[in-house]
Amino acid sequence: MEHVDELIAAHALHALDPQDERLVEEHLAGCERCRAQLREMEAVSAAIALSAPGAQPPPELRDRVIAAIGPVVPAPAEPERGRERRWSWWPRVSAVAVPVLAVAVVALAVWNVSLRNDQSAHDIAAVTNVGNVGSLVAYQSGDATLVGNLRPAPANHTYEAWVIPQGQSVPVAAGTFPGGDGISFTLTRHASPGDTVVITLEPGSGGPTPKGPAVAKTQLPA
Amino acid sequence: MTDRTPRRDQITEHLSDHGLLALVARGDRDAFARLYDLYAAPAYSLALRVVRDRDLAADVVQDAFLAIWNQASKFDSSRGQPSTWILTVTHHKAVDIVRREERRRTEAMDEAHDAPDRSAPVEEQAWQGVAREQVRAAMSKLPDPHREVLELAYFAGYTQSQLAERLAVPIGTVKSRTFAAMNALRELLAASGMHPEQEWNTSTS
Repeated sequence: MEHVDELIAAHALHALDPQDERLVEEHLAGCERCRAQLREMEAVSAAIALSAPGAQPPPELRDRVIAAIGPVVPAPAEPERGRERRWSWWPRVSAVAVPVLAVAVVALAVWNVSLRNDQSAHDIAAVTNVGNVGSLVAYQSGDATLVGNLRPAPANHTYEAWVIPQGQSVPVAAGTFPGGDGISFTLTRHASPGDTVVITLEPGSGGPTPKGPAVAKTQLPA
Repeated sequence: MTDRTPRRDQITEHLSDHGLLALVARGDRDAFARLYDLYAAPAYSLALRVVRDRDLAADVVQDAFLAIWNQASKFDSSRGQPSTWILTVTHHKAVDIVRREERRRTEAMDEAHDAPDRSAPVEEQAWQGVAREQVRAAMSKLPDPHREVLELAYFAGYTQSQLAERLAVPIGTVKSRTFAAMNALRELLAASGMHPEQEWNTSTS
């Protein structure tokens, strides 16, 4: 498309008229070169924001925004027993009440999932640096998530994570991932305090024992 | 079990923006708070410059960060920096308000907000101050017609056809001038050592 470069610059400024915006959106969907161009232009556009006079947001805005993302779900004291009680009266409800109850059960399930997510997000046991890659976030539950950036694995290669339990020397495979920017990879096995986590670059699709070079490693505090 | 849980701010402090956003995508409120602390000031400054009203600007920032929270799991990190995304979302929300309320564009700023806010900069991240100076210097080196189209489009929310009308030039001129201005700005920024497509938050390195 002839004038598409010009339109992309204006698109990054959010300054296109509606008909041009539709045109550009359609073109972008099928053109990687123009998407790359838009990424660059959007970064320049965002830099213009910094030329605005510096102002500080009102201090109470922080609380408002954090409150707006939803309430912190308090952990119930004895969730298991509570659930038993709920189920015990299930058979006695009338048919009329069932749809209402079904809604409540779905809501309860959603609430449980969000509760679990909330807890796992908060119960961080340790965060360690993993070489130049980024960080390993280890949760109390034993889950461990690698966050960071790693050059994408070359063709016919993959990154593989390994856990070496404290006091041992044999690495245990903990999953493969392709690398790239903004990795968020949760290991497929738990890592405990004192364990060492190693990332290697493996030929093919990886395997149960490491064959390739280590690219980064970290040890969780004991 | 001994409590070896470090303070959350110690944990999030050394994560990159991409790392923070990856945690936000998992529903991590502390990582979200950290992203807010890093980018609320530039987002608010941008919103205030566009909508020219402190309460409206605060609403824009709240909407923008809510969108970040809700869409973090869909953020495609190959598409660019989280900082760019946050400011782009903020910019769109602010401009959409200005387009709905045409009068805002010409209205004087409420009170004396053109003056920099002296009460505040203690909180500003050091890198932001540096970046701000680099961007201002680059903007001031642009030829006047270039700076004019960028400021009218970006801060005043004019579309290309509205710009043509306001500047009394053909729309083709507006398009080519906008394109030239963006490229010139990119080159000026690069010449001063600023590469906006790379991570801005250098507090972690």
